Amino acid sequence: MNSSPITSWEGAGAYFTFADSPGMLYLILVLAVIMCFGTIVLAAKHETEAFKKIEGKD
Amino acid sequence: MEQQIAELTKSGAMLGTVQLEIFYWWCTAIMILIHAGFLAYEMGASRAKNVLASGMKNILAFAFIVPTFFFFGWWIYLAFPGGFIPAEAGNVGLPWAQDMGPNLKDNATGVFWAAFVLFAATTASIFSGAVIERIRVSAFIILAVVLGSGAWILAASWGWHPEGWLLTQFGYHDVGCAGLIHVVAGFFALGVLINLGPRIGKYNKDGTANELRPHNIPMVLIGLMLIIVGFFGFLGGCAILNPGAQWTNIYGQPMTLSAYGFNTLMCFSGGIIGAWITTRDPFWMMSGALAGIFVAAAGLDLWYPPLAFLLGMVGGIIIKPGNDFLVKMGIDDSVGAVSVHGFAGVIGVLAVGVFAAGYPNPGDAPATSFMGQFVGVIVMILCGFIPGYVVSLLLKSIGILRVPDDVQELGLDLAEIPSKAYPEAAGYRSGSLAPAE
Repeated sequence: MNSSPITSWEGAGAYFTFADSPGMLYLILVLAVIMCFGTIVLAAKHETEAFKKIEGKD
Repeated sequence: MEQQIAELTKSGAMLGTVQLEIFYWWCTAIMILIHAGFLAYEMGASRAKNVLASGMKNILAFAFIVPTFFFFGWWIYLAFPGGFIPAEAGNVGLPWAQDMGPNLKDNATGVFWAAFVLFAATTASIFSGAVIERIRVSAFIILAVVLGSGAWILAASWGWHPEGWLLTQFGYHDVGCAGLIHVVAGFFALGVLINLGPRIGKYNKDGTANELRPHNIPMVLIGLMLIIVGFFGFLGGCAILNPGAQWTNIYGQPMTLSAYGFNTLMCFSGGIIGAWITTRDPFWMMSGALAGIFVAAAGLDLWYPPLAFLLGMVGGIIIKPGNDFLVKMGIDDSVGAVSVHGFAGVIGVLAVGVFAAGYPNPGDAPATSFMGQFVGVIVMILCGFIPGYVVSLLLKSIGILRVPDDVQELGLDLAEIPSKAYPEAAGYRSGSLAPAE
């Protein structure tokens, strides 16, 4: 996969991966957001189950 | 000859750019010591049965602030200096903008963003200590993100941005973030504590309070001293390096780093001595060092150093009575964060209005004044308290804010952490219960 937005360093500005491909940037960003906030949801579920187990409610 | 002058000029400009990058890079690195300090502080302040859970919570605050500040925190700072309507100028801070990543035409954004991330994480860590030993990790992360990547940075956009409305309309002056970070974080913590409730065992049936002693005071003291070290990076990051010209503060007023050198050390000392004469307790003395800095922080570029010392003493003197008052009101703040950060920060913001009124601001912004500082501190209190109270109330209403009482009594480490903090210590509850899979 060619993710470079530049073919030469001469006059280059933004050179991060997929800098010239907004669709890919949005896709990666959305994935990162889902992973970030998804882990909080998973943590909340895990805690509820763990506490129920300790309290003998499960 | 002309070509040589042009090359020298270009070289000089690049040297200045690199100098700027290097300065904020190292400020950010030093600021990480604040988090090493908070980590030790919170773990030491916990009882042995909760020490690793407190540490994990603190580490996660840092970890979640970084990406969320990338997703929306930096944009909030750039987009909202005028109030609640986003300005187009903020678009350069959107997470898909060309400046928000490696860019050979922009050396500054990344290092400024990193410094602001550390400010944000500091804000979340201040709140973190207050709620140890009974808040659920998931609820804590949500609240830390609301505070670090939302509430404080909105306050910073209003009161710590060259076009922020608190500056342009009221001449608000808070160079070292007494209000923007410490008041916001302190009152956010207060809003959460009201809904979270005290730790099991803190209060007796007749309403009298018990002291739940920290399990490792030496660790607390070392943590607090590390926070002080980190603050030198923090305060350096609050100054604007202008290559080839005089330093300015965040508002564009000329300043020197020497001013910070004089006043930071003087108020730090005043805070320790103030707490020493009133408590004789090293925990409060080191907390007094922090409070001393916060009381002087808003005008750290302006004070006559002995005045900074006296302001620091005020900080050191008020924190213990401030925390005692909260305990009487039924607020169990495990580390005294509301008093040390919130109350000391309020005094610090108002101190500029009392002792440093009349300093001119750039452009059409009014000079510093008591009214400007008063309006500013009310805004900071609300920026902290309202989101802290409302979001924690929502979390409480769906039953995911507080660790159940039985689990608190057992200890959070046994419930949540696979490893043990002190497995060989005599008397430490070994427990046959394994962490939940």
